[in-house]
Amino acid sequence: MAQSAPDTARKYDLGFARWVYENVEGGDKLSMCMQCGVCSGSCPIGTEMDHGPRKLFMMIRAGMKEAVLTSNTLWNCTKCYRCVVRCPRGVPVTYILGGLGTKAVEMGYVKTEDTVRFSKAFWWSAKTFGRTDERLVTSRYHFSGGFGEGVKKSLANLKIALGMFKAGRLHLGAPHKVKGTKNLQAILAKAQEIEERAGETER
Amino acid sequence: MEERKPGVYLCRGCGIDEAVSVDDLEQVAGTELKVPTCRQHDCLCSDEGVETIARDIAEGTVNQAIIGACSGRVMTDRFQFNGTSVIRANLREQVAWSQPAGDENTQMLAADNLRMGIAQAAKTVTPEASAEGETSSTILVCGGGITGLSAAREAVRAGHAVVLVERSDTLGGWAAQWSKRMPFRPPYRDPQDNDVAALIAEVSGNASVTVMPDTVVTRTEGSPGRFSVTLSQGGAEKIETVGAIVVATGWRPYDASRLGHLGYGTSPDVVTGVELEGMLGAGPVQRKSDGKAAKTVAFIQCAGSRDPDHLPYCSSICCAVSIKQALQIVEADPEASAFIIFDELRTPGTAEEFYRQAQEAGVIFMKGKVKGVDADLKVVYDDELLGDDIPLEGLDMVVLATGMVPNSTNPEAAAAESGADQLVDDIDPEAPIAIAGYKGGNGDGAAAEDAAQTPGDGGEDGNGDGDAEPALPGGPILNLQYRQGPHIPILADGFADSHYICFPYETRRTGIYTCGPVRRPMDMAESAEDAAGAVLKAIQALRNAGMGASVHPRVGDLSLPKIGLDICTKCRRCTVECPFGAIDEDENDYPILNPSRCRRCGTCMGACPVRTINFDNYNVQMVSDMIGAVEVPDEFSEKPRILILACENDAYPALDMAGINRHQYSPFVRVVPVRCLGSVTMLWISTALEKGFDGIMLMGCKSGDDYQCHFIKGSGIAKERMEKVGETLKSLMLEEERVAVEEISIADSGHVPNVINSFADRIVEIGFNPFKGF
Repeated sequence: MAQSAPDTARKYDLGFARWVYENVEGGDKLSMCMQCGVCSGSCPIGTEMDHGPRKLFMMIRAGMKEAVLTSNTLWNCTKCYRCVVRCPRGVPVTYILGGLGTKAVEMGYVKTEDTVRFSKAFWWSAKTFGRTDERLVTSRYHFSGGFGEGVKKSLANLKIALGMFKAGRLHLGAPHKVKGTKNLQAILAKAQEIEERAGETER
Repeated sequence: MEERKPGVYLCRGCGIDEAVSVDDLEQVAGTELKVPTCRQHDCLCSDEGVETIARDIAEGTVNQAIIGACSGRVMTDRFQFNGTSVIRANLREQVAWSQPAGDENTQMLAADNLRMGIAQAAKTVTPEASAEGETSSTILVCGGGITGLSAAREAVRAGHAVVLVERSDTLGGWAAQWSKRMPFRPPYRDPQDNDVAALIAEVSGNASVTVMPDTVVTRTEGSPGRFSVTLSQGGAEKIETVGAIVVATGWRPYDASRLGHLGYGTSPDVVTGVELEGMLGAGPVQRKSDGKAAKTVAFIQCAGSRDPDHLPYCSSICCAVSIKQALQIVEADPEASAFIIFDELRTPGTAEEFYRQAQEAGVIFMKGKVKGVDADLKVVYDDELLGDDIPLEGLDMVVLATGMVPNSTNPEAAAAESGADQLVDDIDPEAPIAIAGYKGGNGDGAAAEDAAQTPGDGGEDGNGDGDAEPALPGGPILNLQYRQGPHIPILADGFADSHYICFPYETRRTGIYTCGPVRRPMDMAESAEDAAGAVLKAIQALRNAGMGASVHPRVGDLSLPKIGLDICTKCRRCTVECPFGAIDEDENDYPILNPSRCRRCGTCMGACPVRTINFDNYNVQMVSDMIGAVEVPDEFSEKPRILILACENDAYPALDMAGINRHQYSPFVRVVPVRCLGSVTMLWISTALEKGFDGIMLMGCKSGDDYQCHFIKGSGIAKERMEKVGETLKSLMLEEERVAVEEISIADSGHVPNVINSFADRIVEIGFNPFKGF
């Protein structure tokens, strides 16, 4: 992988693996990992990750809590599911990475990660309109790091935006919405409520 | 013996008639060698063919049947005529099936094989059973653990009385201390209840079993069928006669006090797996230091195993034991965590299911080597999968998975006076011979003595630096009154020696069988199975002893080495080199045979410098005559002759199989089967060279630590002897390369033609034997 965990992240917690098994989505299957590395070998963007999934899972066992939760692996995963399909032990790698990402955000390990800001912009659009609006998601993401950065990033992507506009992939005017966005938001609010309730009983 | 009336029977079937002229062969037998009765048949093994032979025998015109047909390894049940001697000349596998049909050389090969058969018949006498009187059918079982108890149970079930001897005052051995057993029934996933108490009750309640606790064997004399063993129960001695002995003395854990680098002794909470078993049996596991519950436990695998400074070998069960204990801990307490730090996790067979079960239960496996354990139970290990040192802090307990040390000696007893050096090297130091399986068995008596004088120093690590091998501490288990010493021979790691592929239970002392962890590391289920195997072997041995017949691999052989004492020089080579300790020395230092210990390999025959040891149906003169019977053409014919002395156990069948697979090889070889390369005497080599053979090849089993010799030492001894023959060849102005030793296993049928052909090419390069024609 591109680089190993920075030394400053050396914090060990013997109970971390157990905590992951019990609290992270898909974590109950993680104990079956036999470290064969098929997941890392299958990952199309493994070179963009601090650690491949195999190594990340071994770090979990070794109790390297901070190194795991600050790893960019959680955010650079594109959710292609190739690892899940190929895992000989049925470990849902993608879910576990997603679950770890959620926990990392909750626990405050992640603050300025680029992919986190993109995810937040994406989720805002999905929640508000029931769809992703390329214009709004992109601009919200571009300007999330401040005005100056927003202008810089927008200009850098201008050519792509024009191309998409010509091809009819980007429209001007009011964003497209699904029917009954109110209902969608009510569903999502309920889901969040259930999740929070479940989280409380777990604790 | 009555007058010899040989009869030659030639088969025309299975392609023999197409390959060679059977009429010409009949000419060789009838006209050239004047055999009075010669017959041919289209299918000799048919009822009609067999009847032809049987009729001649019944009429009294023939009392030795020389059958020129298939290999002597097949159709043995067809060609069997009430003890009439049957000689087989191989015309099928090693002629018709491995040589081109109709070729001149093929015909010459067939004729020579027939000549050799006729020569063999002229020197063969049908051996008769040497009945030695009464034999005992009682089986002595040494050791009252799971293996010994299972052996006793199996022997009783087979109808034999058993004397069960146990060193301690209770039965059950280590198994009685275990909280749970490893799974031995499908689905092989959960630790199972320890049922050893039921086995103890079954065995001790059986009227056919005499249980003797607090007893050791102080003396063992005699041979299979009638061993006389002296049993000392709390000092009171008693002599029992038994037919065979099963040694199930088991194991002991490796001494953890040597594992200071893994924290043993620095903290009371660093314990061994055996100690943890006791704690598991007593209820929830508590720390020894403060009595708190052990919630976080790390297991360190290979603690003192696969380590050149400790036990060099893998004990094979420690991984599964730690898995079992970790499962017990996490299942008893849902809050508990278990970590297993392994170098390589070895879970053979069904233990893989058990490993999976532990993973599902959340036991955490970590791959790497432990670098150290400190007094605060901080374990640092080098994680091979992360490539980094990982500290484990906050552990409640560290468990060391220590290995098994075989009880092939009695560690509580003092080493026998001449025992320790005999154990390492039972060959006369004056005539060193490499012994299979012995590291440092180079006859360096001084080194062995040093080790014997410093007991406790050498310890269990019977595999130190390779030069001065320390012997196992402790006295002999059976205290054998054999010329070759009181011990059961052991391998370099201290386990009892046995032929690990073909005859795993056999020791190098006939009638004495080892089973369980004294033989190799194994778990309870394997030990029980092993015990059944050893008991069956013991029963075979005592029954064969009663019939005067050999045990494997020459099962049923009635021949015995006959030692002509008139010219014996008391050189002791036979008593020293016998792989089975069958020959002792009498008060005048003459060799004296214990017939039922003998396995008829002929190593004594090969050893005897004055060639005064012979079997009725296998002797020095017989093979010499067979070699002499081969027709050797002069050098102008450009037909070299190569003698192959092939071990009948592996090399000869490999040659047969080469024929079955229709692999062709040089037609210039003449194959003589021998019982073992150990039986090959130098006379045969010189006879062949004088006769004009251009090359001689000995084909036998692998020798060395991982020997496959069916008589354990035979091939190693032959190799040693042949290294010395080079000098003799040089003194005769002959090239050393004319005599070669090749290791051929039974699976080498595809390879053996290449071995033969390249040797034949080499011989052609060297040129013909200059003695040819003299």
